Amino acid sequence: MQTHSGSAAAQQGANLAGTPVALLTLEKLDKRFGATHALKAVDLAFEQGEIHAIVGENGAGKSTLIKLLTGVHPRTGGEIFWEGQPVALASPHEAIGMGINAVHQEVVLCSHLSVAANLFLGDETVRFGFLQHGAMVREGQKLLDELGFDLPAAAQLSSLTIGQQQLVATARAERRGARFLIFDEPTAYLTRTETAALFLLIRRLKAKGVTIVYISHRLEEVFELADRVSVLRDGALVGTRRISETNENDLIALMINRSIEQIYHKDKVAFGATILEAKGLSGKGFNDISIRVREGEIVGLYGLIGAGRSEFVQSVFGRFPATNGEIAWRGKKVDIRSERQAMDLGIALAPESRRDQGLCLNLGVGFNINLPIFDRLSLGPLINIPSEASHAERQIKEMQIKTASRNANASSLSGGNQQKIVIAKWLNHGAKLFIFDEPTVGVDVGTKAEIYRLMGQLLHHGAGIILISSYLPEVYELADTLHIFRRGSIAASHAFKDASHEAILTEAIGV
Amino acid sequence: MSSQEASAKRRPNAGVNLLLGLTLLGLLLLMWVILAFATPTFWTENNITNLARQGAMIAILAIGETFVIITGGIDLSVGAVVGFCSMAIALLLGQDIPIGLAVLATLAIGLGIGLFHAFGIVQLGLPPFIMTLASLTALRGIGLLITNGATISITNDTFTGFSRGDFLGIPNLFWMVLVVAIPAYFLLHQSRWGRYLFAIGSNAEAARLSGVNVKAIIYLAYILSSVCAAFVGILLAMRIGIGNPTQAEGWELQAIASSVIGGTSLFGAIGSIHGPLLGSFILTTINNGANLLNLNSFWQRIITGLLIIVIVYFDGLRRKKR
Repeated sequence: MQTHSGSAAAQQGANLAGTPVALLTLEKLDKRFGATHALKAVDLAFEQGEIHAIVGENGAGKSTLIKLLTGVHPRTGGEIFWEGQPVALASPHEAIGMGINAVHQEVVLCSHLSVAANLFLGDETVRFGFLQHGAMVREGQKLLDELGFDLPAAAQLSSLTIGQQQLVATARAERRGARFLIFDEPTAYLTRTETAALFLLIRRLKAKGVTIVYISHRLEEVFELADRVSVLRDGALVGTRRISETNENDLIALMINRSIEQIYHKDKVAFGATILEAKGLSGKGFNDISIRVREGEIVGLYGLIGAGRSEFVQSVFGRFPATNGEIAWRGKKVDIRSERQAMDLGIALAPESRRDQGLCLNLGVGFNINLPIFDRLSLGPLINIPSEASHAERQIKEMQIKTASRNANASSLSGGNQQKIVIAKWLNHGAKLFIFDEPTVGVDVGTKAEIYRLMGQLLHHGAGIILISSYLPEVYELADTLHIFRRGSIAASHAFKDASHEAILTEAIGV
Repeated sequence: MSSQEASAKRRPNAGVNLLLGLTLLGLLLLMWVILAFATPTFWTENNITNLARQGAMIAILAIGETFVIITGGIDLSVGAVVGFCSMAIALLLGQDIPIGLAVLATLAIGLGIGLFHAFGIVQLGLPPFIMTLASLTALRGIGLLITNGATISITNDTFTGFSRGDFLGIPNLFWMVLVVAIPAYFLLHQSRWGRYLFAIGSNAEAARLSGVNVKAIIYLAYILSSVCAAFVGILLAMRIGIGNPTQAEGWELQAIASSVIGGTSLFGAIGSIHGPLLGSFILTTINNGANLLNLNSFWQRIITGLLIIVIVYFDGLRRKKR
């Protein structure tokens, strides 16, 4: 572990000489997850001691790239060269051994151990088989002080803020002798001072010859920090620019896919009565939100992850009741305090994580469809088995759910068909307002189109839809009214396609 | 009845379930045939009725346990509840309380214990394992405090006579299995509450978001388990003519093992009524056969332990495949 700092100093010399040395080179790097082509033949060279930013929309392939570089997933094609030598990079262990480390958005450390114990985790100072706590705390403190972090090495990690934990994670990577350090949205939870401390550290690491890969949604940070920036779109590398030779508009244009696939099926349905109206709704994570959903209308909520969209709809759905403002349901003021209440009103939530919240995966398709209405399928204490069966069959047919039988486990279905089960469930229950939270994450293009068609069907039935998506083309092409969320508030609102992609992205990012 | 039930309705993998049921039934019959040939005493009226009586009690415990395991929980207290309730009914009968009333009061004690478990699990958020382990030791302690360690004999011959009687040539105790199993079958496989038990075991959050009253259903599961155990306590008191809170030691493991042998998944959402029935008689037959073959009775415990490990291992494999 200690040997690396010496070699880093040697390379610093090489870097100062002004000849850019490619530390890590990717050739036609390719990754497929089943039918999904997550990364398409990416050619990229990371130079010794540069800060290389990677930007792109959600789902553009950034996290896949990180996972390949840190050995979490094996690649499906292409070559990786480390200092010119081909490497397998098949396990996280190998990556760390080479000096590739990642600092993730969510801190992956042991929160019950001390800061020092985390710094030395897996590489503890031991004498005669006993841990040298005192020595580790002293050494850890020295390291933290050197890095300029005002952190106590003896404190329990969980007593620190997320931002401070992020700094600990960085210090740990530094201690391990990282030569190639990946930061994945590191500032998402940091305060301004913490961000400043982190940037200082990143520049110091760069000066020591460490190559930094910096992934962020915040373009202003990219321009403040990076030497070069690469743009990913739909799994492909669409360009690499020197930071001095580009600007924000240029990058945004690169990030957006202009060739909108012809999968967006948009029926024009006449709007009916207002189903739900929120006035000045505030709560944890969102502030003063006013929206209206009418029959036959898709209301899109766009924004970056953490912008407050999900928090807002969860409060409409009664999970975290709003602290301020009011909700009117079909013109009548209601106070939604529980999910049960929301469901009884006629609100359905197709949750973001189907697997965790939406379905009983190891139970049958029919079971899942009928789950909200077993009381209606019962005669006295017993379930009317024939009507239970026919009801499930009818829904499977109507929604065109592709399944071997109604008794097949929900887990055996494709993502899109699982999504259909969730929707069928709520149609059964008689919902009027459908909230779709990222409905097309992880589904293929064909299923996407099917889900959009389904939404059209719902609109014809007189339902209203709230569509949350981090994928701009989706909300852009489908939403009759589009609200842009930024840091818990609505930054802007648009009618159907009345603003450009660039304008909307700019509003969401806040540049 | 088992094969019909196995194909019953909405259970996922109905085919696999049927196959498992038939395999278990085949295994049970095979063991009987082998024991009938290997020992002169197995296939005697005395031994078979003995087997039916002993198996009946474990079967009823296992059915109650199955409701809990399907929700993804566990009830370790059932053995202690059996002992405690055998003492309770012995005390009640000793006060010359009519049998019917004493039985109802004892079942009510079971209901109270189940309520207490569910309260700890639902309201206080304790893990089921800890909650029921705690009441396992506490209940035995309370029983010993009440009786001061003494055994209470039951002098009511009508009460104890029932356990020795039979109806249509089948021991009364075995009929009691049907008294429990038939309503349990309708509850688990034919009622919405049964569906909710499965839904909670599969994904409690999804069940909750589908409007299922998850807390109430968990209460139901633990109450059923404890009431079944209280019922077994009454049957045990009948059978041995005494009440003693230290009785039925280790029966919780037999109940869990029976349920798991019968195909109930310890990870929840998979289970049936016929499974634990078959499982309990398989386990009882193993113990009975070991006795007849003059195997040291300590081996029975070891065999039960090994069986649990093997079966849970296969349960884990089955889960991984999903």
